[in-house]
Parts: sequence; structure tokens; C-alpha cells
Amino acid sequence: MTDRRMKKKEKQQEVFFDYTLLFIVLFLLGFGLVMLFSTSSYEAYLQFGDSAYYLKKQVFSTLLGLVIMLFVACIPYHFWERFATLGYVVSIALILLIIPFGIEANGAKRWLNVFGISLQPAEVAKLGMILFLASLVCRMGRKVRTGKGFLTMVLVPMPICALVYIVTNNLSSAIIILGIAVLMLFVASPDYKRFVLIALAGVALCALVIFMIVNSAGSDGMGFRGTRILAWLDPEAYASDKGFQTLQALYAIGSGGIWGKGLGQSMQKLGFLPEAQNDMIFSIICEELGLFGAAAVILLFLLLIWRFMVIANNSTDLFGAMLVVGVMGHIAIQVILNIAVVTNTIPNTGISLPFISYGGSSVLFLLIEIGIVLSVGRGIRFKDL
Amino acid sequence: MLKNKTSNRKKIVTVFFLCLIVFMLLMGRLVYLMVFHSEYYTEKAQQLHERERSIKAARGRIIDANGTVIADNRTVCTISVIHSQIKEPDKIVEVLSKELDLTEEYVRKRVEKYSSIERIKSNVDKEIGDIIRSYNLEGVKVDEDYKRYYPYGALASKVLGFTGGDNQGIIGLEVKYEDYLKGTEGTILTVTDARGVEIDEAGEERIEPVAGNDLYISLDMNIQSYATQLAKQVMETKEAERVSIIVMNPQNGEIMAMVDVPEFDLNNPYELPESVDPEMISAEEKQELLNSIWRNGCISDTYEPGSTFKVITAAAGLEEGVVTVNDNFSCPGYIMVEDRRIRCHKTTGHGAENFVQATMNSCNPVFITVGMRLGVDNYYKYFQKFGLMKKTGVDLPGEAGTIMHKKENMKAVELATVSFGQSFQISPLQLATTVSSIVNGGNRVTPHLAVMTSDREGNNTKKFSYQVQKGIVSRETSETMQMILEQVVAEGSGSNGYVENARVGGKTATSQTLPRGTGRYIASFVGFAPADDPQVLALTIIHNPKGVYYGGQVAAPVVRQLFENILPYLGEMDYN
Repeated sequence: MTDRRMKKKEKQQEVFFDYTLLFIVLFLLGFGLVMLFSTSSYEAYLQFGDSAYYLKKQVFSTLLGLVIMLFVACIPYHFWERFATLGYVVSIALILLIIPFGIEANGAKRWLNVFGISLQPAEVAKLGMILFLASLVCRMGRKVRTGKGFLTMVLVPMPICALVYIVTNNLSSAIIILGIAVLMLFVASPDYKRFVLIALAGVALCALVIFMIVNSAGSDGMGFRGTRILAWLDPEAYASDKGFQTLQALYAIGSGGIWGKGLGQSMQKLGFLPEAQNDMIFSIICEELGLFGAAAVILLFLLLIWRFMVIANNSTDLFGAMLVVGVMGHIAIQVILNIAVVTNTIPNTGISLPFISYGGSSVLFLLIEIGIVLSVGRGIRFKDL
Repeated sequence: MLKNKTSNRKKIVTVFFLCLIVFMLLMGRLVYLMVFHSEYYTEKAQQLHERERSIKAARGRIIDANGTVIADNRTVCTISVIHSQIKEPDKIVEVLSKELDLTEEYVRKRVEKYSSIERIKSNVDKEIGDIIRSYNLEGVKVDEDYKRYYPYGALASKVLGFTGGDNQGIIGLEVKYEDYLKGTEGTILTVTDARGVEIDEAGEERIEPVAGNDLYISLDMNIQSYATQLAKQVMETKEAERVSIIVMNPQNGEIMAMVDVPEFDLNNPYELPESVDPEMISAEEKQELLNSIWRNGCISDTYEPGSTFKVITAAAGLEEGVVTVNDNFSCPGYIMVEDRRIRCHKTTGHGAENFVQATMNSCNPVFITVGMRLGVDNYYKYFQKFGLMKKTGVDLPGEAGTIMHKKENMKAVELATVSFGQSFQISPLQLATTVSSIVNGGNRVTPHLAVMTSDREGNNTKKFSYQVQKGIVSRETSETMQMILEQVVAEGSGSNGYVENARVGGKTATSQTLPRGTGRYIASFVGFAPADDPQVLALTIIHNPKGVYYGGQVAAPVVRQLFENILPYLGEMDYN
């Protein structure tokens, strides 16, 4: 073997690409499209006369997302570090732009129209937050350990969370952004005690809120979130109102049984379950593919998170690791909250299932995030593995 | 560039395992929902998805004594279109407007209407429905249904009654025997989407309907038809308001005919008389008018029976022993009861007469005398014993009760008037039944129509039985009454009821309608044959005849003509 060939082989080995992650994502996307078509075709045909109406739009977003993902994957991720602050500012600007230019859909004003594509600034904010916090952690260095650093990290995402909640009235996105920030902080800080305290405080706060709402049940001054919590505790008592969607989702999930009714055989998708192709798609998966199919989907997401862990742990620098942790937090939180909502484990709030639920900007930004993770993965040297 | 430190890596692994734990918890939640609560939610979901459509059951037929079907079902079709399944709207409009004889605009409006199912026309003949079905048009639905059909139209309309929109009985036997006739509805369970549109692939589950049971009745359409003819004839010639005829078997209470002209067309019961302008009357007035058209005067109306009631007074007197056939009386043309002078219909008086002759003459003073001999207590006792205070118990709805003096208010004058059939009211059927019971050997029968029910194949037969109260009068009294009443027809006031070669007994009556003094009369005659063993009894009541209004002149001939025709038919003619 000549020296040159030796060198070439070495170079080949150095270029790592996480095909496992890529295939998990592609599989999820493919599966998502199949389930989206199955779930939406009946309603789409009735509403638009085209059973593939939703599928076509989603396929377009997915293909666009895949192209951008491969493009991002090829760019060294450090390239993005310089845009961290800009990302943060742009996120705020986009959210504020909703006030004059927002598009309303399903009774909520959450979208912006950019070159004919409807874009959800909350999705941009999630990506912006991951990038900004990753860069902030690196800039703070050891200061992260101090109380001041900790406080900074907690306070930085607050304005965006508050804006998302106030401007778009979207509590779930605000919670997700906050959750991403807390997870990133958790990884960046070597401390454990503070986080246990935060978790306990959070649990106590939730319990208190629920307790207060249950106690004041029946009185008039309750907002729709209060009623949602009551409907969560007893969906059948609110069957015609706030508990309707949850109850329909439970019917779908429960009637699926262990093996499901078979692909395409869902009854609940025939107009019974509102937003079936959107936030509630997991319950249709349960109905059609049963516990078996639901477990397979959960396992796929677990594999995805496992790949994130592997890439983050093997990342050569903290910036890359933090980026992957952010994406990992984003996807994990969204999957967990989505499944928890459809199974009525937590009160109903609109959270989509990554890669599977219908939604153009969601899949687009998720794929950009995957692109970044792939890019981080490319930095890994084989000898480090 | 900052290094990815071990502490960071540990944390990342911790995050992964935290996720793992939460995923496991969610899996547990899914197992809980999809394994342990699967049955509950499956059932709930199924209830939500299934729609029940009912299939009408064929209503039981009504069959007369000869086995003739007098109330039947006709299969009719309902034509509707299902918007979402229509493939060729133009062809559908063309075919439906042609076959159903509708305008194109009318059909097109319905075909193009965006609704789940739109009815085009109901009550379409089965043949037309079959033709439309043979076109095989997608989106056109032909549903079969049953509609009540009465082959004899107006005949026995007030007895049979008719059915409403849901095939439920409205009046007459149709409502009385609803439970037997109606059958059990079937159901089609279909699976639908949230808007209620049926999912074809899901198929359907059917529970077949059970047809109602046939009702066999004692009514004989031949007799009914002849009696109706006679009633119409006399109504016309005497310009009467109403004519009722009841023909029954006095031995067991079976009603063979019940006529109350004018009757109405059962196939078109809501039709108003031509003289009434439907635009001019309110819905309430219209309903009142219809109710009066449907009213069965034989059982729902009461009247003063008049002299026919002397049969009851005579039977009570004979039974109590206060009078015998050979008792002699003298009629001066009136009788004093307390301070009142009650006149006989023959103001010059009948003179000397025995009890049989007095009955033949229908002599009021004699019957008042008999009534007085009985006294209030005894008279009231027999009135009750004969069953006159109770309803007859006929199996028809809307029977009227007797309107009678209270016993404590009954003084000599009241007793006297009751004795010859005035100052109280009973229904025509009550009179027919009571006379039947007196001449049949003394057994109070329950008048009735229904004999039995069974399904179409003749299984599940149920024979109806009716109460008989034995010994309301003794056999001797009954036979004496047969003899006396035969004399009334043979040589007395009821001679117009005489039928050659037959032994007919009977009694006439001419009573005033209430209030008195309006010059309106009710002519009636009750006759039975053969006199010594009555097998058929007929009561004719003519309301407000013009001209001659005496029962013997107007009503007796009707029964005579009826008997002349139906006695040979019933095999009760004595040719010796």
C-alpha cells in the first residue's frame, strides 16, 4: 500500500456521516406521509374534492425541507455561530410582525406569509433559541456555573416565551421554548441541586393551579384554560365542549386495541375527531395500527433521541453538543407532550407530533435542525467514536 | 473553542434516560387505554358511528267472517336521492321527472340540493318503483314501505277505522287491536361518518321486521254491504240525518254488521265534505268536523230508546212476577202518576187488553203500571242486573256510557217514564245487547267483533273469549218474551217487520230527540229471528226521518228487508 492510498483511506474514515439518524428521520417522514394520507384523505375529499390535498402540500414541504437539510448538513455548523444574536432578534421581530401581518387560521393568529409559504414564527423562535443558547453557553464558559450565569440563562428565553404566549396566544410553543432552554441549561451546568429544586417547584405550582381551578369549578370567572383543566380531569362531563376532542381521541385510541383496525380503517377520522391530521394524528395511528403501531412509533422516536445523544456526546466541542442537545430537547419535549395530550395524560393543548403531523413550517424547521445535527455529526472523527 | 466536558456528557446521558422514563410512562398509559379500557372505548365509539334505521313491519290484515280481506297493505315506494353518490344528475332528473310525473325543475332542485338525502316522492306505486330501480341510477334510492289499503272503501269505515302516517291505528278496530296488528319494526344498523353519511364498505346489519298478526272478525261483509245499502236507501227516501243498523248474533254477541251512514272513505279519511271550503275553517274546526265524520253513532252516541225499551220493562216485570201474560189491563188513553197525567200514544185509549196485547199495542199506561208494580228498588235492580248501567264492553274505542237517574232521585214520575223508555239515554249497541240477552235465554253477552288473531301462516293463533253473564232472566221469562215479541211482529205494531216463512220477533219505537218539542223523531225497530231460537238480531235507528216517522212504518220495513235477504243466507229460513 502506497503512502498516498493510506492517506486517502484515512481521509475517508475521517468523514463520518450519521446514516442511522438520516434513515430514522426518512422512515419517520415516510411513515408520517402514509398516516397523513390515511387520516386526511376522507375529509380532504369532502372539503376540497381532492383526497391528496393535505398530502401534496406536506410532500412539497418535506421535499423542500430535505433539500435544505442536506444543504445545512454540508455547511460546518460553526458557520451559524455568528448568526446567533441575529437569530434571537429576528425571532422577536417575526413574532411582532404577526400583530400587523398575521394570518388567521382555526381561530388563532399564528402565521406569516413569506413568499407564498405560510410560516409560523414560533418555529423560527425554537431554532433561534437553540442557536442563541448554544452560542451563549460557549461565550459564558465557566461563568455558567455561577448563580449569575444561571440566572442569565434562565432569563434569556423569557422575552421570547412571553411574546409567543401573548402575541400568538400559544401556550404550548412557549412551554416548548422554555423547556428547550431549561434542558440546555441543565446540560451546560454541572449542577443538579438547582434543577431538582426547579422541577419540584414546577410540580408544586402545577398542583396548586389545578387545585385552585378544581376548587373554583362552577364559578363563572374561569378562562378557557381553566375549563380545559376541568375537562382533562373528567372529559366525559365536558363531552360536548372542551372535552370533545380529547374524548374523541380516547375513543380512537381505545378502539384500536392491541393490533388496531388496520391501515385506513379508522372511523374516528371520518369527521368525528377534529384536527385528526394535525395534533391528533397519533390517536389515529393508535386506532389503525393498535398498541403495536403506537409502540413502534415511540420506539422510533426513542432511537432518534438515542442518536442525538450519541452525536452530542461525541461532538468535539461544546457548541456542537449544545446544538444537538437543543434539537434533542425540542423533539423529545414535543413528542412527549403530544402523546401525553392525545392520551389525556395532561390537559389538552395544541402540540404537533414531529415529522408526522400535518404542518409545513413545522417539518421544514425540524429538518433544518436535523441538518444541523448531521453537520455536528460530520465533525466527529472516527477515532473518537 | 470550548471542550465538550465529561460533566456535559453525563448530563446528556441523564437527559436521554429521563426521556426514556417518560416514554415508558406514556407506553404504560397507552397499554392502560388500549388493552384494559379497549372494550369500553370500542363500545362508545361504535355507538357514535352506528345509525339505526327502522324497517317498517307489514301491518296485520283484517279478515271478515268469510275470509275476505277487508284491510290490507299495499307496497309503496319512497324515491330519494343521495347527493354524494350521484354520478349522472341530468339523467336522473330526466328519468325521475318522466317516471314520477313531476316537473323537471322540481326534480332538479332536489337533485342539486347539497344534502345527505333528499326525498323526491313518497307513496309511489311498487311497479313504478321497480321501473326506477331497473335504471340502476347511482345515488337514487328506492325504499319500500307499506301503506294501509281498504279494498271496500267506505264499507264498515267506522268499525274498521284507519291508520295514520306511521301506520298506527287512529280509530276503530285499527286502534283497538293495534298491539296485534302493528308487528315489530326491524332495524338496519349502518355505520356513518360524522355527518351521518353511510359508509358503504362498512356494510350493514339487519334485524328483520316481524309482520303484524291478522285479525279475524265476526263482521260479514255481505251483510254489512246489504245493511249499508238499506240504510242509505231509507236515509235517502226519508231524508233522514243518520241511519244506524246493528246486526248481531244474540247467542254469543258477535257483531255481523254495524252501519252508521253517512260513512267515509277509509282510503281517504281526511277528505272533507264538498260543502265545506277547507280554506274557510280553522284547523281546530276541521278536526272537529273530521271527528264528527268518523264518529260511530252505534256506540258513541246515546239516545232515548223509547218503546223498544218496553222489552226490558216487560222482562223485569215477568221475572219479578208482578205481571203475567194473562193479566188484564184497561187503557183509557192516559194514566195518572202522582199529579201528572201521562198520555198513551193512542189518546183514545186501547181499552181492555191483556199483557201480550198491551205489548203488541205498545201501550204506555200498561208499562207504567208494570213499572209502578216493580217499584224503584226493583226496577233499578233489574236495570243493573241486565247490565244497562255498565258499558257493553264492545271491542271498539269510544263507547258511550248510560245516562240514567240516580236511584235516590228516582221518584214515581221518573220511574213511569223510564218504564216506557224515556228520560234516560243508552247507546244503540247497549239496547241491541240487552234485548239479545233477554231473548237468548237470559245470558248477558259481550258484543264483539274480534274472533281471533294469528300470523299470516296461521300460527300463533289466539282466540278471544268474552264474558257471558248467565241468568239475568230465567229461561221461562226469556221464552215468554220471545213469544210476546213474535206476536208484536205477527199481529201487532211491528207487523211491518214480518218476514214470510220466518219467525221474527221484534219491537218498534218512536222516540223524540232531545230537547223535546222540536218535531224531530227517532224511528227504531229491534227484530230477531227465528223467534223461538234467535240467531240474528237487528236494530235499526233512523234519525229525524221526514214525513211518516213511526218506527213501525219506517224502521220495521228496513229490518224486514234485511232479514228477507240475510235469513236465507244464514240458513235460518223456515220453509215449513
